[in-house]
Amino acid sequence: MTEPVTQAARQNIWSRINGQTWLGLLGVYIALIITLSLKSPYFLSVNNFLNIGVAVSIIGIIAVTMTMVIVSGGIDLSVASVVALTGTVVAQLSNRDMPFGLPAMPVAVTSALAVGLLAGAFNGVAVTRIGINPLIATLGTLSIARGLAFVSSGGLTQTISSDAFGFLGRGFLLGIPFPVIFMLLLFALTAAIMQKTVFGRSLYAIGGNAQASRLAGLPVSRLVMAVYILSGFSAALGGLFLASQFSSGAPAAAAGIELSVIAAVILGGTSLSGGKGTIGGTLLGVLILGTLNNGLTLLSVSSYYQEVARGAVLLLAVGLDQLRLRLAARARG
Amino acid sequence: MRGIRKRFSSVEVLKGVDLTLHEGEVLALLGENGAGKSTLMKILSGDYSRDGGEILLSGTPVQINSPRDAENAGIRVIYQELNYAPDLSVAENVLMGHLPRRPGPLGSLLVDWQESYRRTGEILATLTKEIDPRDPVGSLSVGKQQLVEIAKALSGNARILVMDEPTAALASREVQMLFETITSLRARGVGIIYISHRLDEVEEVAQRVTVLRDGTVAGDVPLAQVTRREIVRMMVGREVETLYPARQGVPGEPILEVSGLTRAGVFEDVSFTVRAGEIVGLYGLLGAGQTEVVNALFGANPAHQGQIKVMGKPVSIRSPRDGKRCGIGLVPEDRKREGVVLSMSVADNLTLGNWQAVSSGGVFQPTRERERTDYWVKRLAVRFSRSPDQEIGTLSGGNQQKIVIARWLEAGTRVLLLSEPTRGVDVGARADIYAVIEELREQGLGLVLVSSDMEELLGLSDRTLVFSRGRIVQELDRAAASQEALLAAASGEVTL
Repeated sequence: MTEPVTQAARQNIWSRINGQTWLGLLGVYIALIITLSLKSPYFLSVNNFLNIGVAVSIIGIIAVTMTMVIVSGGIDLSVASVVALTGTVVAQLSNRDMPFGLPAMPVAVTSALAVGLLAGAFNGVAVTRIGINPLIATLGTLSIARGLAFVSSGGLTQTISSDAFGFLGRGFLLGIPFPVIFMLLLFALTAAIMQKTVFGRSLYAIGGNAQASRLAGLPVSRLVMAVYILSGFSAALGGLFLASQFSSGAPAAAAGIELSVIAAVILGGTSLSGGKGTIGGTLLGVLILGTLNNGLTLLSVSSYYQEVARGAVLLLAVGLDQLRLRLAARARG
Repeated sequence: MRGIRKRFSSVEVLKGVDLTLHEGEVLALLGENGAGKSTLMKILSGDYSRDGGEILLSGTPVQINSPRDAENAGIRVIYQELNYAPDLSVAENVLMGHLPRRPGPLGSLLVDWQESYRRTGEILATLTKEIDPRDPVGSLSVGKQQLVEIAKALSGNARILVMDEPTAALASREVQMLFETITSLRARGVGIIYISHRLDEVEEVAQRVTVLRDGTVAGDVPLAQVTRREIVRMMVGREVETLYPARQGVPGEPILEVSGLTRAGVFEDVSFTVRAGEIVGLYGLLGAGQTEVVNALFGANPAHQGQIKVMGKPVSIRSPRDGKRCGIGLVPEDRKREGVVLSMSVADNLTLGNWQAVSSGGVFQPTRERERTDYWVKRLAVRFSRSPDQEIGTLSGGNQQKIVIARWLEAGTRVLLLSEPTRGVDVGARADIYAVIEELREQGLGLVLVSSDMEELLGLSDRTLVFSRGRIVQELDRAAASQEALLAAASGEVTL
């Protein structure tokens, strides 16, 4: 008589663990850290982890809102180009004399953020009002924004002389690099928004079933619009951090990082078809990819092989998750 | 099939089921959702492996371990969701995987289209004359697509056909077409296992009925020897008094007034009134406009012209949000695609769109959420296995539907539009939903019911409006309404 009870209990625990993709990810991350610690004497140190934090901060900031976009059933390929465009905008304006004696740097930063908002709004209108598939709409914006970055800068990298601006990408607060603090705060804030607020849950509903959400009275278009605007805004933030790190704005900057961002989000367990995913998972995804890069560099693995390793880890993680889902489905019948 | 057993982890779904099908016979396989029908059929079709028992064909045991084994044994299943490639032609779908090749050295690479169309035409000719093998399948009506599916089965020389809810998406004329096909298949000696929730259909096509309940056979009898009531008792395991609740109270003030509602090419000049405490039924063949009128009233596909008044006040409804604001709610036709968010929990689906009531300043208040959920779960007798936090997809269709209805009640809806509220819902849960609808009527809501199930429509409605080609052609009150009258008006045999 006791056997079925324990069996049921065991199953209950298993199904609870089973529902948590991030637990598996955490396991992967810990295993990665242990392996790299054994292989390299330089790996396990506070300084190295702060290095990793700085290295992933821009991808991390953008991955937060990318998670929102993908959870709501969309995708934003334009983020890397928006990073470059805001970089060139801030660099150019920082070197100009402003009318009415306005201080150059604040105006430049505000304008750059406005450019990001505008790019996001452009994506939002294309997706919600015109009804263009998000993949195609943001692919168009990817090209347009990158083009504008070259047009506005004449193809040249321009330096930024402001010291205060340098704090953004290179400053420290209590011994911790500012980009890392900013990224972690953004993760924490967004995690709370996604879990606890009406806005967050609406995004899960829309990604799960947009038509049912509309018929239940959710303002679907408005919410999707907001998500793309947020994505454009955080790409602009990423652009500012990058420009600050290098004290310059380059039109060719950040090429292809949209794929790293999306890879981190997917690795973190967010479903490309929408409706599922967590901000915590994305943080783990960002950290795993960043730590892997760092570790392989410390081990003097060629950067060509690093690319290969990154792709392999992504496929492995998503493949294992699919396998887990299939096993769970079979157990349920 | 003899002594079939199947368990999923710790749950035994089939506990030794026997099922016999004779040549040229239609066997109705009945049972509530979860009784084991689908599992049994998936074992027959090789989708699932069995844990015990054997399958015999014409007396000899056969090994069916994969869908291909089943196909070779002449067993074909036509699922509720049709499996076809919409952009390919009828011939390509029917002969999929077996397209004839051209003669000659390169022949194995080239499809012989003439031969494909000829062969498909031959098979189709035995079913219908209205389908051209060259048409893309996606351009056909659902009923014709089903015939294509049957033709596909026949092209493989099927001896046993399993039809899972074949009429769920069909208009009544297409149902008749299907029944004629079934008759001709029987004459050829094909055995058919017919799964349906609609007992009137079962009585029309089947000769024998096998009822499953909780993984065992609850009855196996010739149809001529049982009454409908006895079948229902076998399915449910208890006496179900009447499916339709007794009616009390009289309708009050007009709550919804519609006049001259038009959406060009879809429906025209539709006018009617729904009073508080009244259920108005809308009936029509597929595409006659009744479903579209309901969608327009809610704002899902707004009307171009016409006036809508809710509780005497003219309103403008351009979107579902407008409809909701005016106190109108819609229980949509296709529950999975339009009603519920399958990836979310029962509680989230219940409060979907009503989140301002369970949050403050945009932040959720878990205790208030739990309170509201518990209240509706209790009031509508929603059944689930674990807690309101489990995914809604794990609930039966009937319980999912209760959640969709509860969502509108939570929103304070005054006029509830119900589009096919019991499609794919089993008998037990159906009676529950009818009881809920009746309770809402008594509370003074105005209800509009669109249903292709005539029995349901007649059982619930105070009045029925019959649609034909986008217009209301007849209004029948409760006394005058009958299946014959509805059909006659809907197919245009009666002019006013």
